[in-house]
Amino acid sequence: MAKVIIYPINSLILSDLVQRFGHTPLAMMEKIKEKISTVGVDSPPLNITAEEPKHGLKYAAVEVPAGVRGRMSIVGPMIEEADAGIIVGESPTAFGCMGCARTNELTKYLIRNRDIPLLELDFPETDDEGQEFVYRIAEFLKSLPEAEGEATE
Amino acid sequence: MNDEAVVKVALVSCGSEYAGVHGELESVASSVNATLIYPEIDIDVLDDIGKEFGIEAASPDLRLMMARAKSVVEGLSDVDGVFITSCFRCAEAAIVRNEVRRYINKHSDLPVISYSFTERTTAATLLTRMEALTTIARRRHLLAREKQSGLTAGIDSGSTTTKAVVMKNNEIIGSGWVPTIKVIDSAREAFDEALEEAGVKEENIQAIGTTGYGRFLIGEHFNAKLIQEEITVNSKGAVYLADTQKGHATVIDIGGMDNKAISVDDGIPGMFTMGGICAGASGRFLDMTAKRLGVDITELGALAVKGMEENVDMNSYCIVFGIQSLVNSLAKGATPEDVAAAACHSVVEQIFEQQLQEVDVKEPLILVGGSSLIEGVPKALGELLKIDVLVPSNSHLIGAVGSALLASGFVEE
Amino acid sequence: MRTAEDNEDVITKLVVTSSDSVLPIDAAMKIYESSTDIVIKETCFGTMVTGPRESVDKVVKEIVDLDRNHIFVKERGFPPGDERRCRASRGGGSRPGFYFLKEEAMMLPMIGNALDKYDRNVPLKETEHKKKLEVKELQDLIESTL
Repeated sequence: MAKVIIYPINSLILSDLVQRFGHTPLAMMEKIKEKISTVGVDSPPLNITAEEPKHGLKYAAVEVPAGVRGRMSIVGPMIEEADAGIIVGESPTAFGCMGCARTNELTKYLIRNRDIPLLELDFPETDDEGQEFVYRIAEFLKSLPEAEGEATE
Repeated sequence: MNDEAVVKVALVSCGSEYAGVHGELESVASSVNATLIYPEIDIDVLDDIGKEFGIEAASPDLRLMMARAKSVVEGLSDVDGVFITSCFRCAEAAIVRNEVRRYINKHSDLPVISYSFTERTTAATLLTRMEALTTIARRRHLLAREKQSGLTAGIDSGSTTTKAVVMKNNEIIGSGWVPTIKVIDSAREAFDEALEEAGVKEENIQAIGTTGYGRFLIGEHFNAKLIQEEITVNSKGAVYLADTQKGHATVIDIGGMDNKAISVDDGIPGMFTMGGICAGASGRFLDMTAKRLGVDITELGALAVKGMEENVDMNSYCIVFGIQSLVNSLAKGATPEDVAAAACHSVVEQIFEQQLQEVDVKEPLILVGGSSLIEGVPKALGELLKIDVLVPSNSHLIGAVGSALLASGFVEE
Repeated sequence: MRTAEDNEDVITKLVVTSSDSVLPIDAAMKIYESSTDIVIKETCFGTMVTGPRESVDKVVKEIVDLDRNHIFVKERGFPPGDERRCRASRGGGSRPGFYFLKEEAMMLPMIGNALDKYDRNVPLKETEHKKKLEVKELQDLIESTL
């Protein structure tokens, strides 16, 4: 199965669909879990310390705000790890890890810049659009090759 | 609200959780017995908040900031003060942060601080600000005091100089002003000067107030009744000395190491900001200029008012490279007067650019702190803002006077 | 990074039901009867299931199987009630992720229906996408109102 980076990176629907069609979603939640379970770091709520924005320098220069670089220190490695990607257009109420427009622009850019299979679409508003949304994602996921050495299920 | 109660501070922020500073915010809040509250919002508000508030920010977290500000103003969240913060160098957030700050100040009585952080921001950097915010919430009754009574003293242990005053029945009867070398020794020296001039003995002083960087150390040493950060103390001292205790006022305090801009209503700070990152916006720049010109700092002001800053090319406002520009211009034929004027202009311009954007300047504008005695500074500030700058007498003693005034609140208790 | 004592890999999954036949309470009952090393918490949008990864995956699969296309799952970073994130200790105000979750939850019936259709091989209707008005059409429109 392939590792599929999803955007929005915390989406319930995308995370579910990727899993449902037999692949592994690369989503924010698992990364946050790793962060908050890190023993010996006490920087509530997410255990992001001053180190993360420094790691984020790999993806954005120092004149880019610390909040962008801190987010990128988590999202950046996910993008590098991905075998495929699904980008769904901006949702009006994505806060928190998706709350910064500048980070989101950079995230989408870096996903598009990877040479991986990519599906881009918008969140549906009507039933017909919903059907198209699910069909396109399902077909896309079925078309993905199994990633090398990743057949673990 | 009594002095012991936990102060509820609404956190209206964007990015702090991801910038590595959130723990610092929590930590500074708990150190002043405050707790950060995330204002409750009605989720439907988010759909239209951009248009309703007026800024259709692209970042959802900034829309959340506006919604939370609205919740605070409408009283949906029961809070005592507001801390507005976002990432340094984010233009979008800076626009929203400023407008949210104005909005809360306009529509509520809550004290507000606004701050832009980097990943290097620490709890220590924020302590004075948060302490001021909680003081305003807790000690409104104390800050309402307009007259000094009894026999009290105030000591301001600043980064560069230590000031002390002795006050009796609303009059300054003695003062001392010495360079800060060792915090306690310098405070002792300034205090002794003030006592001697006043002709009173230390044991007769009914209450002492301390402020400034060394406030905790000297407060404990002199058994002070009031140990208070310099934002509330100085704004109180400023409106007292300038006799503008009612209505709006703006206080600018240019200190040796940092500076403050405070928007005051009826003697109580409403919005304030503090510098401290750039020495080019501090009194230290003027000190260095005086040294390079080979004059005493007390003579720099008289030179500056005779000079033309336009005759000097300043390539930088930095305390290293800016001073270099001044030296170079001397070599090219600029006069010491021009250089002194250019130095005053540079410091004032930095304060304008870095600080005054974070408060709304409302007249009267009261300039205090040691730098206010350098005549070129109020002149340059007045020219830049195109308003009259008020420098009250004893403006350099501001912190000491404010402390003595507020400490007298403890005489009757 | 996990430590040695944390080896069993405790995870939390959020199960959101959008089903006519299975209610969140049914999902909860299923968990109660099936496992001992799992903690659950019901929220307005679904059930949080916390426990060792293997047990959670097993139970979640059992729940999803109750109505496969109408029960949705995602992993969650924080366990329920984590002090760093819990509304109670944050002094009110939802955690930021809540708003998006609510938005997505409202889309689930539509997604569920689409999954049903996909399973039944219902052909995709050609949906019309909004197009920008041609300049010529706009011109005609203006002229017709003059």
